[in-house]
Amino acid sequence: MAQPLVEMRDIKKAYGKVRALEGADLTVYENEIVGLLGDNGAGKSTLIKVLSGAVPATSGDIYIRGEKVSIKSTADAIAHGIETIYQDSALVTQLSIARNLFLGREPVKGARFFDRMDQEAMNAVARDLMARVGITKDIPPTTPISSLSGGERQAVAIARAMHFESDLIILDEPTNNLGVAETQGVLRFVRNARDSGHSCIFIAHNIHHVFQVVDRIVVMRLGKIVADDIDPKTTSVEAVERVITGLEEDTPPGIPVAADA
Amino acid sequence: MIPSIVPRLIAKPEFGPFVLFIGMLAVFYSINPAFLSPLNISNTLTFMVEIGLIALAMTLLMTSGEFDLSVGAVFGFAPVLMWTLFNSGVTSLEVGFVIALLTAALIGATSGWFVTRLKIPSFLVTLGMLLVVRGTALYVTSGFPQRTWSPDGRLLADILVGDFYIGPFRLYMSLFWFIAAVLILHYVLTQSRVGNWIQAAGGNPQAAIARGVNVARTKMGLFILSAVMAAFAGIISSIRTLAANPNSGTGYELEVIAMVVIGGTALTGGRGTIIGTVLGILILRVMRNGIILIGVPGLAYNIFIGAIILGMMALHSGLERRHQGGS
Ligand SMILES: Nc1ncnc2c1ncn2[C@@H]1O[C@H](COP(=O)(O)OP(=O)(O)OP(=O)(O)O)[C@@H](O)[C@H]1O
Ligand SMILES: [Mg+2]
Repeated sequence: MAQPLVEMRDIKKAYGKVRALEGADLTVYENEIVGLLGDNGAGKSTLIKVLSGAVPATSGDIYIRGEKVSIKSTADAIAHGIETIYQDSALVTQLSIARNLFLGREPVKGARFFDRMDQEAMNAVARDLMARVGITKDIPPTTPISSLSGGERQAVAIARAMHFESDLIILDEPTNNLGVAETQGVLRFVRNARDSGHSCIFIAHNIHHVFQVVDRIVVMRLGKIVADDIDPKTTSVEAVERVITGLEEDTPPGIPVAADA
Repeated sequence: MIPSIVPRLIAKPEFGPFVLFIGMLAVFYSINPAFLSPLNISNTLTFMVEIGLIALAMTLLMTSGEFDLSVGAVFGFAPVLMWTLFNSGVTSLEVGFVIALLTAALIGATSGWFVTRLKIPSFLVTLGMLLVVRGTALYVTSGFPQRTWSPDGRLLADILVGDFYIGPFRLYMSLFWFIAAVLILHYVLTQSRVGNWIQAAGGNPQAAIARGVNVARTKMGLFILSAVMAAFAGIISSIRTLAANPNSGTGYELEVIAMVVIGGTALTGGRGTIIGTVLGILILRVMRNGIILIGVPGLAYNIFIGAIILGMMALHSGLERRHQGGS
């Protein structure tokens, strides 16, 4: 296996009395797609929010390429090459595709004093990126996000992560509320991102979507990682479902399974 | 290509205000041709550019998702401060001018601090600031207008409001300040990186912050700009009319916000247009002037303004929905 890109060690997180994470360890290697599965309330979102700087962990350490880092905000995470894609929330719907792609890192044209954005360059890069993530329809880069479909918005967010060389792209339920074709699109974008050298964490409740795209499956239950090396090519969907619900053979019957949220 | 340009133009937020403005010109002119006389045009332009300066700055502030109700109070306060400093012999007029602008910047920074640091809605912060600033102006003057001294021939007066004739039109230097502000702020909003941050700050502040955009600093800068522009406009107006009344500017905040939203800038932020605001300024000022010229009682003015605001809001929201409907 390749180098570990990100390692989260013994991450604990309590929201008041609710212990959302009880010592979770997660490793993501370079150039792989990890599927993170688990029942409602298992702690998947909390774990990746810790990694993306959206919530602080109560304790635990994060290493990137072996070096310990401290991630206190979303901006910190992005600076460390970790990009999180939530449905919608990361884009400014009033702004165009190109302006969103470069938000906060707009290229300047001419003297610095005039602070002039190089909109031609932005549009050219945007057009190229949209083709690279696999948008086949001809959408001008000046189109505002508000007139894109949910799947196309995901594509813009993924394109941005690819362009700014994010090492790790996290997608938390990116296929929720998407139609069949759109979902296939997002899965294709994720594969394209991996093929151009990025790693991904992919969270989805639809286990079939996860099976279609990931290299390795990690399962969480009640705030802990209970399996972290399931190969989707050699494991059946049913076997993974048993791990998620806690009914796999090494769990004695009668133990209560993760409560449904 | 030609057929596709027409619907694109119609979909622009500036299109509705533009048609309304042309329509108003036609109606007023056909009822009373004196409406387009050089004298009337000169008179209308004179005050229009003063209040217009405030509306231009407010456009950027509103695009960033905030607004400022204290601009009318600052408009009244800044000249009072300048003339008080000058009359009492503390400073020269020029230094008084600079101090008045710096004080306005401080007022804007204070509002910005309350909004960005304490996360208090700008409606409440700037309402409080309105009362503090207006109250201060009234208190230090005991409510009386300040003595102003005819500043003719003074460099400052010439630069700010020197008048001159182009053909039959009597114009003031303030027109050039207005045009310069239009060009600069339009450029900033549409071409500069700061413009992208302003729109992002109003559209989706969380997303902007996540991309490393300093939303707080952007908004802070716009609060300062808005207050300084209001002070600048107040001083121009005061030198031109040779009056510094602590009550002047009362109610301007609402007229300015009306100008901005009529032009197509969203009250909720994220979308703004300087060209639209210029049209909004023209519409409201020409309306006020025109309905008097055609014999409608001046007291009926607000009925028309209210109707224009409602009509334009319906139009803009319709366009917006059609836009979203495309998804
Ligand atoms: N902001 C919060 N305040 C209090 N408790 C929270 C908060 N966010 C999450 N929790 C709790 O933490 C636990 C883990 O939640 P989390 O959202 O990480 O689960 P999840 O695995 O993403 O679930 P789902 O599949 O439903 O999205 C749950 O018990 C949840 O109720
Ligand atoms: Mg979740």
